[in-house]
Amino acid sequence: MSRQRSMEKILASEFVSIGELVRLSGCRYSTLKFYTEEGMLPFKQEQENLTRRFPREETLVKIKEIQDLKKQGHSIPEIKERLAKKM
Amino acid sequence: MKELSFAQNFSVIALNAQDSLHLTTAKKVFLRCMAAATILELYLDNGFKTEGDFLILNQEDLNSPEISRYHKAVLKTLFSKKETLSEQLPQYLKKVTKLSKKMLKEVEHAFAVALTEANALEEIPALLGCDLEYVTAGISMKEYRSNSELFSRLTESLRAETLETGPMTDEAILMLWLLRESGCIHDFFSREELKRVAERIFELQGSSSLAKQVFPITIHKTIEMGIKNFLKSKKDVMSTASGSGINFVFPVIERSQSVFIDTEKVFANKEERLRDIKARLESKGHIFTVIREGEVPLIKIDNVLYEAVPSAKLYRIPVHGVRLRKYPLSL
Repeated sequence: MSRQRSMEKILASEFVSIGELVRLSGCRYSTLKFYTEEGMLPFKQEQENLTRRFPREETLVKIKEIQDLKKQGHSIPEIKERLAKKM
Repeated sequence: MKELSFAQNFSVIALNAQDSLHLTTAKKVFLRCMAAATILELYLDNGFKTEGDFLILNQEDLNSPEISRYHKAVLKTLFSKKETLSEQLPQYLKKVTKLSKKMLKEVEHAFAVALTEANALEEIPALLGCDLEYVTAGISMKEYRSNSELFSRLTESLRAETLETGPMTDEAILMLWLLRESGCIHDFFSREELKRVAERIFELQGSSSLAKQVFPITIHKTIEMGIKNFLKSKKDVMSTASGSGINFVFPVIERSQSVFIDTEKVFANKEERLRDIKARLESKGHIFTVIREGEVPLIKIDNVLYEAVPSAKLYRIPVHGVRLRKYPLSL
């Protein structure tokens, strides 16, 4: 049996799942999935069928950055370009 | 906000948009599932003593400090006159199908009080309460509204766990089963996603002992579920562009989607009509914004867009007013 982690434990851990990322950021699952598939959010996956693990702090900063750029009126290709330049 | 328990999280999803004053058929289905969620929560938290496959619960266990008010409300209905219960999980869960109306109301009250205190749930006036016939009859209509941020986090994280690869947590497995049993799984997954959900449930039954134990159990009553689904599909059809047109001509088909607000004056002009609508909405405590003024104003009421179309009703004398019609783009 594997239990859901409490918010306290999630906030103390280095890596989180996409479900936990949804709980932390309040973003929709489809939005985060889209960002991941567009290569905007880095993740680790040990094998193809295993859960994707996102570095918690780095990913939350990136999500905030993407949301801010979107609010400023930037398109997704523009945001991707900006994020790529930073890396 | 304080982190809620598993059963409370399910209740946030279940009670949203339910009539808070009456025990409707749809609410009965959800309340039975909320009772089942309480039993499952206790099972997950090792609240039962075990003897092989049997789960044992004594009356005196209800006095434990870990047992909250909603646990008590559910568990005391299971005991009836027995001192000790010793049954397997499926038998415990099956008991919720036999809960009486009185017991269901107690379960609802216990959950609603706790969730309201935690700012996870509020009681708001239902828009139908603004309708001329409801106002003149003095009928007060209220419904529950869950905290929208919490509701979104709960449903979206469940979607993520279900649709992603990798193992699922016990809470997500049980939440999926509860949504299936309450007949609202279609509200959270698209038709295409439901194929993946079905595959996932099949996989889980092979890989998770909890899923294998729970998914074969059914706790819904076929008649209740049939009525609930029929009423929901009627509402869905009447919310489409063509459906709302038909409902405008024959409002009796779906009353909740066609609210008539009378104006003070006969042949009122557009400003007077809008003023009267605002006054009625304000008097009933709705939150609204006028998006567009004019002959047919567009108003956002409690996060839903409505057009206010001039209309008249014929009683002994004609009554002029507007009919609020759900704006199809808001869907």
